[in-house]
Amino acid sequence: MDVIVCVKQVPEVIDADLKISREGTGIEKEDLVMHINDWDNYAVEEAVCIKETQGGTVTAITIGDDESEDVLRRALAMGADKAIRIDPGERELDGFVISKILAKVIKDLEYHLVLTGVQADDDNSGMVGIMLAETLGLSHAAVVTGVEPEGDLARIRVELEGGMDEVSRIQLPSLLTIQTGINEPRYVSIMGIRKAGKKELTVIPVANLGLSEDDLTPRTRIEEVFLPPETTGAEMIEGDAASVAAELIKIIKEKGVSI
Amino acid sequence: MVTPYRVSYWSIESVWIFYVLAALAVAVFVFGVISHVSVWSRGARRQGIGFSGQGIFNLFLDGLLGRRIFSGDVAAGTMHLLILWGFLGLFAGTVLISADYWVYHFLKGPVYIGYSICLEFFGLMLAIGLVWALIRRYLQRVTRLERRIEDLIVPVWLLVVVLSGFLVEGVRLSAQRPEWGGWSFIGHVISLFWSDPRGALSIYPYVWWSHAILSLGLVAAIPFCKLFHVLAAPLSIYMEDRPDLPMPAETVTGDEEVFSSRQMIFFDACTRCGRCVEVCPSAGAGEPFSPREFIAAVREDLLLRHHPLKGLDWFSRWSDPRKAEKPDLDPQKVWHCTTCRACLEVCPVYVATPKVIERARSRVVEDGTQVPLLLSQTLEKLYKYNNPWEASKKNRAKWSQDLEISDLTKTGEEDPLCYFVGCTTALDTRAQDLARSFARILKHAGVPFGTLGKNEPCCGDIARRVGEDGLFEEQMESCLALFGRNNIRRVVTSSPHCFHTFRNEYPTFQALRPPDEKVHFDVRHYTQVIGELVSEGSIRFEKRLNIKVTYHDPCYLGRHNRVYDEPRKVIRSIPGIELVEMSHNRANSLCCGGGGGRMWQQDLDSKIKMSEIRIREAAETGAEIVITACPLCLIMLEDARKTASLEDTLRVMDLNELVVMALGLRSEGGE
Amino acid sequence: MGEIYVVAEHRKGEVREITFEMLFKARELCRTFSHRLTALLLAGKDAGFADDLAKRADRVLVFENDRLETFNSDLHKEILNRVIQKDQPFMTWIAHTSWGMDLAPALSVKTGLPLATDCVDIQAEDGRPIVIRQIYSGKLFSRVSFKESPGYLMTVRSGAFLPPDDAEMEPGEVLKQDIPADLAEPRKTFVEFVDTGAGEIDITQADLLVSIGRGIGEEENIATIRELADRMGATLSCSRPVVDKNWLPKFHQVGTSGKSVRPKVYLALGISGAFQHVAGITGAGTVIAVNKDRKAPIFRVADYGVADDLFKVANALKEKLAGA
Repeated sequence: MDVIVCVKQVPEVIDADLKISREGTGIEKEDLVMHINDWDNYAVEEAVCIKETQGGTVTAITIGDDESEDVLRRALAMGADKAIRIDPGERELDGFVISKILAKVIKDLEYHLVLTGVQADDDNSGMVGIMLAETLGLSHAAVVTGVEPEGDLARIRVELEGGMDEVSRIQLPSLLTIQTGINEPRYVSIMGIRKAGKKELTVIPVANLGLSEDDLTPRTRIEEVFLPPETTGAEMIEGDAASVAAELIKIIKEKGVSI
Repeated sequence: MVTPYRVSYWSIESVWIFYVLAALAVAVFVFGVISHVSVWSRGARRQGIGFSGQGIFNLFLDGLLGRRIFSGDVAAGTMHLLILWGFLGLFAGTVLISADYWVYHFLKGPVYIGYSICLEFFGLMLAIGLVWALIRRYLQRVTRLERRIEDLIVPVWLLVVVLSGFLVEGVRLSAQRPEWGGWSFIGHVISLFWSDPRGALSIYPYVWWSHAILSLGLVAAIPFCKLFHVLAAPLSIYMEDRPDLPMPAETVTGDEEVFSSRQMIFFDACTRCGRCVEVCPSAGAGEPFSPREFIAAVREDLLLRHHPLKGLDWFSRWSDPRKAEKPDLDPQKVWHCTTCRACLEVCPVYVATPKVIERARSRVVEDGTQVPLLLSQTLEKLYKYNNPWEASKKNRAKWSQDLEISDLTKTGEEDPLCYFVGCTTALDTRAQDLARSFARILKHAGVPFGTLGKNEPCCGDIARRVGEDGLFEEQMESCLALFGRNNIRRVVTSSPHCFHTFRNEYPTFQALRPPDEKVHFDVRHYTQVIGELVSEGSIRFEKRLNIKVTYHDPCYLGRHNRVYDEPRKVIRSIPGIELVEMSHNRANSLCCGGGGGRMWQQDLDSKIKMSEIRIREAAETGAEIVITACPLCLIMLEDARKTASLEDTLRVMDLNELVVMALGLRSEGGE
Repeated sequence: MGEIYVVAEHRKGEVREITFEMLFKARELCRTFSHRLTALLLAGKDAGFADDLAKRADRVLVFENDRLETFNSDLHKEILNRVIQKDQPFMTWIAHTSWGMDLAPALSVKTGLPLATDCVDIQAEDGRPIVIRQIYSGKLFSRVSFKESPGYLMTVRSGAFLPPDDAEMEPGEVLKQDIPADLAEPRKTFVEFVDTGAGEIDITQADLLVSIGRGIGEEENIATIRELADRMGATLSCSRPVVDKNWLPKFHQVGTSGKSVRPKVYLALGISGAFQHVAGITGAGTVIAVNKDRKAPIFRVADYGVADDLFKVANALKEKLAGA
C-alpha cells in the first residue's frame, strides 16, 4: 500500500512568548524553535505503521523553504522512503493555495492513501487535507483515530465530540486527516536523522508546476494579528467563602462550562 | 627402603581409551571456548588484551585472593578461596603428574611424599569448600543465591569428582599397600576399608574409570556451564581497568552489536552471585529490574544469535519453549537502572552494568518505537531547547536576576572561572537556590567567576545516560565550542552529573580528535571548590550551628568520581555541627533514584520510591538536616520528605545552602 | 451583507448544541442587517428536528432521506452545493466539528467559495465578512478577510457564541425539499458509533476538571471533593502525590508523568504547582487555584486564585450549587 503523507514545519509555541511582527499580520519567528507539526507527526507514524504491516512505500511531502527539509528528513528517519519539498518562493499561501499546490504534485504519484494532520499548529485551519481530497476527487474523512486497510476499503474511526467515535468504511484511494493520539509516534534519534540524509529528497519550485494564477491566489487574508488580553499571575479573589464560591461559579460559567 | 613413587595407569588396561576420551573432552572444551570467543568477536569494538600491570595486580588481588568476594561476606570469600585453591592445586597436581610421566620422572622419594600430602590438602579444601557452598545455598539459603538446577549439578559434580578421586587413591593404596601410603592420609583411611588387597584390586579399574570419565566430563562441560567463569572471570578482572574506547554514534550501524567485546567477556564472567541484586536501589525498591537478570538476558540474547549452539540456557529453554524463540530482553526493562554504580562496586568480576545499560538503551533509542513517552518528550526538549525541563531557553539565567553575575559569553575575560550551572539547577525552582547560594559563597570568598548565562547548553549527561548518543555528541560539540570560543579553561559545576560528563566522558571522546582540535579544560565539582576555600581560609565559619546533620553521597560525586571527603570536610569545619553517617554511606551509598534519566521517567517508580527508602534511612540517624551535593538528589529527597511525611522532623539542604546558613548570608533555602 | 444559511448538526436523534449557538449569532447579524436566516437540515425521515430549528430561524429547509440519518460528507456536500448554487446565500455556516471539518473544505472547493474555519467571531464590514480566529493554539487572535466572492463559507467554534435560555422566537416556516434524484452513492458508509467515554475516566476530554493535590491531606477527604465534582458535572483529576499514595488511580493524574489536559476550566484544589504538574495544564483554558499558601507557585500560572482553605471553598461551592 503506497501512502503519501503531507507534513508542515511550524514553530513550537507551547511555552514561547509570541511577538507580533512589525507588519502586524504574523509573528516574529527568530527566537522560535521550528519542528514538525504535531498532528503531522502522528500522520507520518501512521503511514510508516501501514507500510510496516502492509508493505508499500511512504512518500513525505512538504511546502516550504530549505529549512523545512528538517521535517522531511525526520519523516525519512521514521521510515518514509522518499521526500518531496515544494519551494513556494516568496508566494503568499493560504489553505486553499496549499491544497492546490499539493494536488498538482500528488496527482502524478502512485498512491492508495493520502494522510495529513487534522490541522497545523500555526494557523489552526484544518482545511488543507479535505480541500486536497476534493481537488484530487478522493474520498475523505477528518479527525481520524484509526485506520485498518481491508482490500479496496479501509475501516476507519473518526473522533467526534464528547467521547464518541464513529466507525465507517471508506473506499480507497482516500484522504484521511489524522488526529493526535492515533498511535505513539516513534522517537527519532539524532543519528537516525543524520543517516536519513542518504534517502531521496526532491525539490520542486512551485513555478515549475504550471498552476494558474487563480489557483495561486489566496482566498483569505490575515488583516491583523492581536494578543489576547494579558494576564499577570492569578487575579486573587478575596472575601468570605460564600462570596468566593459565587464568584467562582460565575467565572466557570463565563468560560463556557455549564454547571 | 623402596623409593616412594606412583606407577601411572597402574593396573589399567586399554589406556588408549582414556586417551581417546581425554582428546574428546579437550576437543569439546576447546570448541566451547572458541564458541565464546566467536561471540566476543561480534562485539562492536575488539580491544587487544595487551599487557597491563594494573590488570595483573587486580588479577592477583581479585582473582587469586578474592578481594571482592571477601568484602562484605567473609564466609563466601573463604568458601570460594577453598574451592579456587583446591581446584588450582589439583589442576597443578594433574599437570605435574603428566609432566612426570611424559617429560621427566621426578615425583619420587620425598618429592613424591610432599606431592601426595599437598594433593590431599587441596582435595580436602575443595571438598570442604564445595560442601560449604552447598550448605550456604541449600541449608542456610543465603538470600542472594538462587537455586537453579545448574547451581546444584555443578558443585555436586565437582564434589563427586573429588570424592571419587579420594576413593581411587584409597582403593589403590589398599591394593598396593605401599609403606609410604600413610602420607596420603585421606586415601589411607579409605584404604583401611578393604582387609583383602584382592578385593580392592578387583574394583580398582571400575573406580578408576569412573573417576576418569567424571573428570574428563567436567573438563568438557566447563565452557557450557557457570564454570566457564574460571576462564572469563580472570579475563574480565584483568581487562577491568581499561576504559572502553568511545563509540561515536556515527560508527554504529544497525546490524552491529552495540556491546563491546569486553562487555561480552564481562557477561560470561558473571556467576549470578547476586551481590548486585542486594545493592541495586531499583531492585531494592521492588521495581521489576535486577542487574543480574538484565545481564543474563543480554547474554542469552547474544548467545542465541551468535553462539554455534544457539545459547546455553538449555534447561530453561527446555522447561519454557517460548524462551528459545525470544529471550526475555524486554526493551522496557532498560529504563529502570539509575546508573548509580552500586552493582559495579560490589561485583567480584567487574560487570559494568551501568555502561551495558547505556549501550542497551542506545539500541532502543535508535529503534525509536519503544522509547517511553516521557523520555521521548524529555529528549525532544533537550534537542530543541537544550534542557530537559522547559520548552523554552529564555529562563535559563533567571535564577541569577538579582545577583549581578557576569556573563562570560559577553565579557570576554581571559581564563575566567566558569560556573556551569546545569539545566536542573538553573531551571528547577527548588534547585535554583543551590545556584544562588553558591554564587553568594563565591562572592563572599572574593572569587571572581561568571556563567554562560542564557547560552549555557546542556552538558549531554542525560542524552548519554539514556543512550541518545547522537544528541550527546552534538551537545558535547556545542559545549566544547562555547568553552573554546570564550577561553574557558576552568569549570566548576553544580551537578555531579555535569562534573562526571565533563571529567570522564568528554576526554574519551576527545581522544579520537586530532590534537589541535581538542579543547582542554579543568573541571571541578563545587564541593571541591568550597573545600579548597575552607582549607585556604577564604571561608571561615564563626557562627556556631548546633545541629545534627547527615550527608547523602550523590552517586556521580561519590562512587563515580570518588569525592567523598571534601563535602564532609566542609560540613565538619562548621563549628557546633555534628555529622552522623547513614548506614549506607560513601561507596555503598544508596541512590536517590534520580540518576540515569530516571528523574524524567518517574512513572517507573514502584510503590516504594528509592528516594523514600533513602530519606527514611536519613531520618533514622536522628539528624535534623540531610545535606546533599547534587540538584537531582536535592529534588528527589525534598519530594520524598513530603511523601514520607517527614516534613516536620527533617529538612533537606544542599551543601551550598548549609554553608550560606553557616556564614549568615541571606538565604531563602532549605524550607 | 445578505442571507445567512446555517447547516444544522445532529447526532443520534439530537440536535447538537453548536447548531443553536450558530443560529443565535446568525440571528443577531441578520437582525442588524435585516436579512433572512435559514437553517438547513439534512436528516433521516421524520427526524422531528425541524420545529426546534424553526424557533430560532426565519425558515428551515429540510432534506429528509434515510441515507441522511447520519452525517455523510459526500451526500451533504452534493446537496449543499446545489442549494448554494441555487440560492446563492451570502454566508453559509457549518459547525467546526469533526463532521464540519470533513464537509466545509470539500464544499469550499466544490462551490468555489472561500472558507474560513474555526471562527470565534463573525462580523460584516463594507458588505464583506470579517472573521476572528484563534491561531498558534489560541495564543494569538487573527482578523481574517476574504477574497471577493458571491458567497462565503465559515465553520464556527463550539462555545464561541452562547445563546441565552430565551433564544427562541416566533417559529419560522419549515419547507420540505426534494433530495436530488441523481445523487451518487457515497464512498463512505457508516458502521457504528462507539462510546469512548464509557468505563474509565478520560481526563483529557473533560471541559471542567476539579483537580486535587497534596493539600487534600488524607484519603478520606477525597470523597468530599468527588461529591463536589459530581455536583459540578466535572471530572476529578489530581497531581502526582495523590497517585503516589494510591488514593486515586493513575488515569486521574495530570502532569508530565500523567496526562496533559485541556479543559475549559481547571479548578486546582490544594495543588502547589510543581513544574511537572503545571506542564500538564498549559492547554487549559482557565485555571482557578485554591491554596492556603498565598505564595504557592500555582498562583503564578493560574488565572484566578483563592488563598484559602480548600475545604472551606469546596463546601461553599457545594452549598451554592445546591441552592441554585
